[in-house]
Amino acid sequence: MLRSLLSGYSALEGRYDELLSGPGAPRPHWGAFLHSLAEREGTEVGETLALMDREIHANGVTYNVYADPKGADRPWEVDPLPLLLSASEWDEIETGIAQRADLLNRVLQDVYGAQDLLRSGLLPPPVIFGHGGFLNPVRGIRPPGGIHLFQYAADLARSPDGHWWVVNDRTQAPSGSGYALENRLVVSRVFPRMYRELHVQHLASFFAALRDSLLRWAPRDAGARAGAPLFVLLTPGPFNETYFEHALLARYLGFALVEGSDLTVRDGCVWMKTVEGLKRVHAILRRQDDDYCDPLELRSDSALGIAGLTDCARRGTVMIANALGSGVLESGALLGYLPKLCEHMLREPLKMPSVATWWLGEPAAFEDAWKRLDHILIKPLERSVREPAVFGADLSADERILLKARVAARPQRYVAQEWVHVSQAPVLEREPASALVPRTVGLRVFAVATPEGWRVMPGGLTRVAPGDSRGIAMQRGGRSKDTWVLSDAPVNATFSLLSSTVKPEDLVNARANLASRAAENLYWFGRYGERCDASARLLRVAIAGVLDNTAERRDGASPALALAQRMGLIDEDDDTGAGLLRAATHRDAAFHQRLSTLSRVAFNLRDRMSADNWRALNQLVGDPVFESEASLPVALAWLDRVVTSMMTLSGFVLDGMTRGFGWRFLSMGRRIERLSNLCTALQIATREGRSHGLDWLLELADSSVTYRSRYLVAAEWLPVLDLLVRDEANPRSLAFQTKGLTDYIGKLEFSHGRFASDVLAPCHAALSNLSPADLSPESPALASVLDQLQRAAYQMSDELTLKFFSHAASRSVLSLVA
Amino acid sequence: MTPLTPMEQSQSQSQAQTQTQSQSMPFGRRVVLERYAVEHLTRYAYTAPVSQSWQLLHLVPRSLPWQSLLSHALHIDPMPDERHDATDAFGNTATHFALHGAHRQLQVRMECVVEVGARPSDFSAGAEAAWEAVRDAVHHQPQLDDLVPARMRESTLLVPWSEAARVYAAPAFALGRNWLESVTDLMERIHRDFEFEPGATTVSTSVDEVLYQRSGVCQDFAHLMLACLRGHGLPARYVSGYLLTDPPEGQERLMGVDASHAWVAAYSPQLGWVEFDPTNNQLADERYITLAWGADFADVVPLRGVILGGGEQDMVVEVSVVPGV
Repeated sequence: MLRSLLSGYSALEGRYDELLSGPGAPRPHWGAFLHSLAEREGTEVGETLALMDREIHANGVTYNVYADPKGADRPWEVDPLPLLLSASEWDEIETGIAQRADLLNRVLQDVYGAQDLLRSGLLPPPVIFGHGGFLNPVRGIRPPGGIHLFQYAADLARSPDGHWWVVNDRTQAPSGSGYALENRLVVSRVFPRMYRELHVQHLASFFAALRDSLLRWAPRDAGARAGAPLFVLLTPGPFNETYFEHALLARYLGFALVEGSDLTVRDGCVWMKTVEGLKRVHAILRRQDDDYCDPLELRSDSALGIAGLTDCARRGTVMIANALGSGVLESGALLGYLPKLCEHMLREPLKMPSVATWWLGEPAAFEDAWKRLDHILIKPLERSVREPAVFGADLSADERILLKARVAARPQRYVAQEWVHVSQAPVLEREPASALVPRTVGLRVFAVATPEGWRVMPGGLTRVAPGDSRGIAMQRGGRSKDTWVLSDAPVNATFSLLSSTVKPEDLVNARANLASRAAENLYWFGRYGERCDASARLLRVAIAGVLDNTAERRDGASPALALAQRMGLIDEDDDTGAGLLRAATHRDAAFHQRLSTLSRVAFNLRDRMSADNWRALNQLVGDPVFESEASLPVALAWLDRVVTSMMTLSGFVLDGMTRGFGWRFLSMGRRIERLSNLCTALQIATREGRSHGLDWLLELADSSVTYRSRYLVAAEWLPVLDLLVRDEANPRSLAFQTKGLTDYIGKLEFSHGRFASDVLAPCHAALSNLSPADLSPESPALASVLDQLQRAAYQMSDELTLKFFSHAASRSVLSLVA
Repeated sequence: MTPLTPMEQSQSQSQAQTQTQSQSMPFGRRVVLERYAVEHLTRYAYTAPVSQSWQLLHLVPRSLPWQSLLSHALHIDPMPDERHDATDAFGNTATHFALHGAHRQLQVRMECVVEVGARPSDFSAGAEAAWEAVRDAVHHQPQLDDLVPARMRESTLLVPWSEAARVYAAPAFALGRNWLESVTDLMERIHRDFEFEPGATTVSTSVDEVLYQRSGVCQDFAHLMLACLRGHGLPARYVSGYLLTDPPEGQERLMGVDASHAWVAAYSPQLGWVEFDPTNNQLADERYITLAWGADFADVVPLRGVILGGGEQDMVVEVSVVPGV
């Protein structure tokens, strides 16, 4: 069985193979794993692998990351086979990475402090000053604990002789630890027994250490205000390609996920704008590039930043991890100087070497590079999309001359790096048949600073290069693997994040601090969802009325059109069939704009919604119906689709969301919108009087079925109005909305003080006081109640905004003045 | 900043030529102390209320061996809710302030009295050094002048590397040519080839665009000259300040005719920082009042801010420099 499992797999000449030490001979630390894999059910190897693959799907453990906000699917795929590392091998990596992280932090302390390394010539100034990551305003800032570098990641590659080398240092806002965590959840569930028996080291303690360290280093409130500190994870927002990971980590760590606009600076401190007012922030886990973090002192063209953040760092009122300016260590030229710096600063040799790298600003290195061009790649000192690394071996004679001229114009901007033939590991390939094939892999490892020294995550993100790519650079996304660090002794399996020294109550509950922006988005998501639903239903009734031949339907056309005009769906002179079709299916019409707005609001709530929901909405906005002129049946089918999607969405809100603060804001949005729309519909219906039928109104309010089952007669005013106005059990009635709103507002006022019950209470009373005699289109009492409720809806919306969203209300405008 | 009148220009040009012909002769050498009263007023009017405002000012003139700040005051209206001064990475005084209440206008008035003497440049020392020697000296001895020259050779956001600028400047930097002569030649070229044209550019116009359109204001010329010098590996920094321009004969000095000015300081190990004004084709003398310096304009913006709300905004800047107070 083992033989057939490996039958299609062979090591490549001149590469290190992670699995095999010779033809058909697995390395010792893979033995148990392969043996166990071969023992699984199924006689054919293809069947075994396919089974494994199915398990991933069956457990619901594949996950897709829609990195592209425009909806293009770029799944992040996890390969079921983990990369195995033996205990002794891992020890070397761990010590090497911890030392390197320590060294790099000391380099940051120096270049933003005394600058002795630059003065003494140990580090040529252009290596630091010539990198855009060096931020002048940060000079002189000493972060809490002297920790500039809090989180560190290194990209490792293994050369043919089996040694690990650092290819890149990631010091700005290293990503990938969240993906590693997610991969672990997936893969450990596929191989639960092997995971246990092989003593795979767990990841949870790494994240606990991260939280613990922040807690110990972050500044605290003094005196009476002292309480649980507030930690946030700062993301550039849902457009960022790693937003999925930000949301995941924030949830896992129990930090609030915030964007720059959720934070503000006052009195030298950072504050989060929440529905409860401003809350002091004590630590920021930064996933946004530092130069975009403060439009006041750093890049002024940043729309994402927090004005004054640098000054807070200067005053030491907030821990920013990583500290501002840490990106300068990603200067490609630094690699070549680390051995010397390590000897100088730590008095010991550098344990984890970098891939040989030369800064071409040194004349000798510049000359040497052209002699060894076939074995090196040339790349800018600063990572650049426009100027990717060039493999010398690829170049023609002419191209070599051009490259040399380009580099010679400013050699200090370039580095030469040895081209490493990177190792390969087995990957499960599904096409044409399931088989193990060798693929180039790189390992990203993660470290975090703790008061007891650096902690390295036991494991990491193994990234798989597509095809038989030779490069060490791997595309974004693509495939990744879990990384299993095997230990000789059993691991402490009872450890989980919850049993760390930091208890959940030490941290402010992330969800308790609902950002004003998120609350506002949720509120408007509720309102726009309801508005789109009402618009689709109304257009459906109006189109059917105008274009249909049946008498009852035509009857309702006139009030439905009047209502469509009032709701801004059609222009006043556009009440023809063609006008209505246009209103429903044209890209410039108000209906499409409402759908787009809903989808935009939903996009901003992606960390709270499933990808399916968001994608379904996105599909509505891009529906093919908008691409050509629609016929009547096409338009009606389209409106049916919208109504169905909106019902699915309310199903999600009812079933899929926790009943926290956020849910309350969403529900209030729906109720207020529905209240207002229904008032308008009833006002128009009663104004148009008895000459028109009532079927349209029942259909609009989705109450036809209820009505028929209850009354078994044609629609009549008294029972219809009773159903739509007074019946507290009908979710589409006015009374149902006011009852629900009374409830939500009551709960919010209990914790946040009065803001809207004064508006609502008299309406609710007036509604209850209506007698059956008032339920006629001519009743002045009914007209007055409708007016009152309509006004109350607007007023409640204003009061909510004022009370909870005012921090998020205005937009940042920047003025740079000569 | 307006350039000098034609008559003043021709005077300073001939001065510069004289200078380049006989290098040993010190230039602009009038050993007197000039005293100035400077008033710099900035006023914003917003069409909608501003709810929050954070501002960063570089409006405190530096104290230098040739410049003393005798008095200084900043009047901010409305009164800021918080305000403090700090020293920035280049040794300038930066004033931070913030407003947390709604306001529809913001006014910042800086008043100061400054005494300016002659710059300490002694052009007889090491004046024969070739420009390449200056470039190489900074490379081999980065610790010179506390690493500042090493910092001031690198490109920045507003002065990125420009091949066009390097090519434009190349004729001034002939092989082995004296540094002072080369840089002065560059200043003359910029002054000759570019038209001073207020409104031709904005704060975000790039060096390459300025080169293409051959017009701009003092800030553009300073950035261009920085790109040219740094393109040749020579350290240079951006200087922000004020320049006294004499009123036409018989007319009273008017409030607001002047604006803030910008020029360039280039570094040589022998001569130190020498200040060149490409807008007026002359070296800085007692008429130049130094506010602040940095790697480019962004480091020394007199008033830089972020506001919430505000709608459209209207800005007025008035500067007056009154001599002999």
